[in-house]
Amino acid sequence: MVILYGLGSILIAFMVGILFAGISRKVKARIHWRYGPPLYQPLIDIVKLFHQESVSHGFIFDFGIFFSLTGAIVTLFFIPIGYIVPLHESGGLLVVLYLMLIAPFGIALSSVEAANPNASIGISRKFILALGYEIPFLIILLSVMTYYGTISFVEIVEIQRESTWGIISMPITGIAFLLILPAMMGLKPFDLIGAPQEISSGPEVEYGGIYLAMSKIQHIFLIFINIALFVSLFLGGGAEPLTFFLKMLPVFFIILIMSTIYPRFRIEQAFRFCVRWPTILAFLGLLLVVWR
Amino acid sequence: MDREQVIKALKDSGKWGHKYSLWAVYFCTGCGIIEIPPTITSRWDAERFGVIPVASPRQANLFLITGYVSVKTLRAIIRTYEQMGEPKYTVGFGSCPINGGMYWDSYNTIKKLDKYIPIDGWIAGCMPRPEAIFVAVTHLWTLIDKGMATAYKKYRKQYKYYRKNQEMALGKLEWPPLYPINEDE
Repeated sequence: MVILYGLGSILIAFMVGILFAGISRKVKARIHWRYGPPLYQPLIDIVKLFHQESVSHGFIFDFGIFFSLTGAIVTLFFIPIGYIVPLHESGGLLVVLYLMLIAPFGIALSSVEAANPNASIGISRKFILALGYEIPFLIILLSVMTYYGTISFVEIVEIQRESTWGIISMPITGIAFLLILPAMMGLKPFDLIGAPQEISSGPEVEYGGIYLAMSKIQHIFLIFINIALFVSLFLGGGAEPLTFFLKMLPVFFIILIMSTIYPRFRIEQAFRFCVRWPTILAFLGLLLVVWR
Repeated sequence: MDREQVIKALKDSGKWGHKYSLWAVYFCTGCGIIEIPPTITSRWDAERFGVIPVASPRQANLFLITGYVSVKTLRAIIRTYEQMGEPKYTVGFGSCPINGGMYWDSYNTIKKLDKYIPIDGWIAGCMPRPEAIFVAVTHLWTLIDKGMATAYKKYRKQYKYYRKNQEMALGKLEWPPLYPINEDE
């Protein structure tokens, strides 16, 4: 049953992630007054990348990218997609907190092996940004855990189904989470990690073919995980995968529109933003939860 | 996508991918690059053809040589071309890479680019309009469909010829040969 649920959750995350990537390219095109690519264009890209020749730069280069993809998939197993939770008895929020760092760590290992200076700059930016958003993220998770008195995802979703959604009972914490979500997903105002115009797509600069495909799939999973985290903690999860998906869509659209209309931050601006507004809001939310 | 296309895509997914997902390496050789920003942005929207610019040659499979090629640029072009993963497609853009164009008697311009790297197709004109890029892309689709866009195989096969021409233009090359050269031939 666990294996079946695991495969199901990978499949759902992949399909929903591909759909999100397609929607994001289409919506971005419409906001730019363009026609845009077909909805299945990310799928074509990934299929193409699997057929493209690639160059390896050593053992760690191969290992790191698998490590990163595995980290993303393992994180996925702890996230409840409707009733599909492959590993619901163990772990919970604390495990997800640790596992979410594996995916960028694998990318860092892999791309530094290639010894491209652009990749090193991208990785250093990634970890500075991670330092910035981990502080509010920790405070947010702390307030969520304090409010519900549990670290289990399933129980949090259950409690929300019986009472109200998390975004209503702790609105300030929810807004703080919404503010750091683009930074966690590496989307537009915070896409300085893989900025194509400055550092020629950063950590991905030496990836071609199958490596780039795996990096893209990892990013697709990452987007799914982050939005799913928001939906489970603040929008009451979902009774079944379809309602879960329907709740993910508006969150994704808000982030997408934010990412289309805002230009890219510099790294110190991004760091300053992350440690200022989301941290203040998250701390305020924590105080409200404690004094409740 | 109608049913015929779905069957075609399932039968040869690699060809389907290479056709509809051409990633062009963002490399400016000459004045022709001025046509690329309107092509990829709102006015002419190259993304609906699956053509997007990428920053690194490792990720790209389409190489647009935009405009005249000086001797100094040729070095960068060869290095970029050799870093791209196969299959890779090259398109000469403008009349200068074809035969020198208005620089036909220049001492410092490469006149016939296909002596140095293999080219799949040309877009003639000075300047070609952005629509011409789309004509070239759809033509490249036809070539890929028929299995005729094989310039990269030619490069592997006749590497000795290309390497000799490159050395004649640039002097001694500081990078090792991409493919082994058999001196006996």
